[in-house]
Amino acid sequence: MQKNYIWKRLLRSLISILIIMVIVFTMVYTMVPRDNIFFEDSTYRKLASKSDDKTEYVYSTWEKLGYLDYERINDYCLTLYEAGSPEMSAAVEPDSPESREFVELYTSRGYTVEQYLGSGRYFAYKDVPVIRRMLSWLSQLVKIDTPYAVKDETNPDLVRKLSFGRTPTGGVALIGSGSLHKYLLYTDSHFPWIHQNIIKLNFGTSYPTYQGLEVLRVLFQSQGGEVKRHVVFETGYETDSGINFGTLKYKSILDRMDRKKFVDNYANYETFKEQPSMIGTSFIMGIFAMALAYFLGLPIGVLMARRKDRLADKLGMVYIIFIIAVPSLAYIYLFRYLGTTLLNLPSVFTTYGPGDVRSWILPIISLALPSIASLMLWTRRYVVDQMNSDYVKFAKSKGLNQREIFNNHIFKNAIIPIAQGIPASLAGCITGAIITESIYSVGGMGKMLPNAINQYNNVMIVALAFMFSTVSVLSVLAGDIVLTKVDPRISLSEKAGRS
Amino acid sequence: MDTENTNLFEFAAFDELESEHIAAPRYSYWKSVWRTFFKNKFTVAVAILLIFIVAFALIQPMKSGYSPTVTPNINNADMKFLKPGPGHIFGTDHVGNEVFDAVWAGARNSIIISFICTAINMLVGIPIGALWGFSKKMDKWMIEVYNIISNIPFLLLAMILSYVLGAGMRSLIITMTCTEWIFVAYFIRTQVMIIRDREYNLASKCLGTRTGTMIVKNILPYLISVIMTYISRQIPNLISYEVFLSYMGLGLGTTNASLGQTISMYTSYMKGYPHLFWIPVSVLAIISISLYIVGQKLADAADPRTHM
Repeated sequence: MQKNYIWKRLLRSLISILIIMVIVFTMVYTMVPRDNIFFEDSTYRKLASKSDDKTEYVYSTWEKLGYLDYERINDYCLTLYEAGSPEMSAAVEPDSPESREFVELYTSRGYTVEQYLGSGRYFAYKDVPVIRRMLSWLSQLVKIDTPYAVKDETNPDLVRKLSFGRTPTGGVALIGSGSLHKYLLYTDSHFPWIHQNIIKLNFGTSYPTYQGLEVLRVLFQSQGGEVKRHVVFETGYETDSGINFGTLKYKSILDRMDRKKFVDNYANYETFKEQPSMIGTSFIMGIFAMALAYFLGLPIGVLMARRKDRLADKLGMVYIIFIIAVPSLAYIYLFRYLGTTLLNLPSVFTTYGPGDVRSWILPIISLALPSIASLMLWTRRYVVDQMNSDYVKFAKSKGLNQREIFNNHIFKNAIIPIAQGIPASLAGCITGAIITESIYSVGGMGKMLPNAINQYNNVMIVALAFMFSTVSVLSVLAGDIVLTKVDPRISLSEKAGRS
Repeated sequence: MDTENTNLFEFAAFDELESEHIAAPRYSYWKSVWRTFFKNKFTVAVAILLIFIVAFALIQPMKSGYSPTVTPNINNADMKFLKPGPGHIFGTDHVGNEVFDAVWAGARNSIIISFICTAINMLVGIPIGALWGFSKKMDKWMIEVYNIISNIPFLLLAMILSYVLGAGMRSLIITMTCTEWIFVAYFIRTQVMIIRDREYNLASKCLGTRTGTMIVKNILPYLISVIMTYISRQIPNLISYEVFLSYMGLGLGTTNASLGQTISMYTSYMKGYPHLFWIPVSVLAIISISLYIVGQKLADAADPRTHM
């Protein structure tokens, strides 16, 4: 019964996520003016205005980002004649019979046909419907790496096989040849110790900011300077390098340095860096803030309930009202001011960097302040409600002392609705804290969505929206499951015989 | 029995009108609400302060005619960054304008926006939430609607609306209401679900009361205090929200004053001229806190169980 319910709900959650994505795609690709994506593009700015190069750049970028289908007269003529032939160069000119055919063909297909401003040659474009855009995004979302993944015409003798072996750092690995990654499955000394490269999510390539980088790499790649160490490559070549062998990827054309280091075509790699990734930074901050909030909020809330209408309760209420009434921007500044003057802590994260504990203290406490207040408020509410219930009076009349009643009866019941919120607050850690991170200049996830929106990085917006909504929808479900685990009386599925 | 004594009694005539009279103390709900509310001196003081501030915020900007775009003293270095003192109650800012005028002009817009938004959110959210909580069939689908609406990236929506409608009060109000109502509805739904299956409602259902009547007559009165608590938190929340949007550059736009706009505009001067930051924040805090306290006390007073 329970399992059945969870499957059904997972299915419905999946549909919800798809609808969210349709809405996000519609907003991003139809409602934001598409010229805006070039605001942050340096290549675009360098191109002379009204030149054919600019038109070409604009339309090919739009095609790449999935806004429209773009056809040039050149492409059309290439299907008819050989490249560089005299027929070809005659056909692309605007008054040729081929150009007339091109115009007729694409007009009949519903394309808008225009001419380049300089040469007068024809090109055609047609908007891609949002649903088709989304379906193609979805179809490329999951990438599975197999020994047949690499298609490289310059390297016809590429061996395609799987084998077990060791990584240069001594870990055990499933080694692929002909696959995109060299080490499909491997172990090393870095968290979480076992890594895989077989199934990867592919959110596309970031544009116009972080140009050319894969979205997930932007979010998950460690930041800062390279951590170099002494490395012996498979060829026997020794040097100081930050190479992460696990990330070795297929490279078609090798240069001299690559041949010196590697025995095969797997020569693209990422490096270990000093600082945690954006998502890592936010997660560390979020986890500690959450732990702090539960560690302080719960006991204080219970204390307030036990001393209801006395001094402790009133002081607690003052704090809660303060947090509710004052905008977070203001109390974070106030708190930072107090922390820097009284405790001599750094006012921004970057002063000592993530390697120093002092950098983390103020941001983590600032992030915890509102959660502490809300946990205090709700814990107090639930405990007070439980204190007035009949079973507590009964326990008291049986002669149990205050502590027994609290620990064995009230707390267990009061904690139920609070336990439900734990998965959601865990999920909240990865979305980052916009204001806290920007005030303390922490390089976390918080700034990513606002920046992506302001800089028209559509690929990034879509990826973040997908990640955040999936995590949040699933965490609501997880919260309900936790609820049934903490309180076996609660059943999620509708009971038979009850309307 | 003595005849003398029996003569002292009189026969009372049967009065049909009198027999219908119920000899309970008169109870009027709203009178009791006000009586409970005014009993607490502290609450009354806060309420008076609140009324004074709101009235001042509504009237003062008309007199000063402040606008962030009008900067007569921008080239006069003597007028910039003056400390609070006589002549300049709150001092002057980076363009030589009176902070006093800026703060009250901002407070006016912020108060108007948060009141209108709260009204809209409540008017939409409460009826939908009440129906949602009442019908299990509706709940199954509304939960997914909630999942969808609450997960659309809010900033993205805010930015798109500012494209479509342009920056300004109207677009800000739409931004702060177009998804916010679902949270009100969700909150009300949970509350309704809690009391939906109470015995008195079962009895009422057995007697054939229609759903609409049950919601309006049986359930909503029970929720007045909860709703009041929610409203008293909603208004400060919306002001904070507006501060956040202005901080992200999606607020009222630079031509209109608002507390959020003012605070985020002065934030960069916090180190050198702390009064520029702290004065608007304090005004905002006073407004929010007094609204919250009055709301909480009204909520307490609105609960009929406190009237005994």
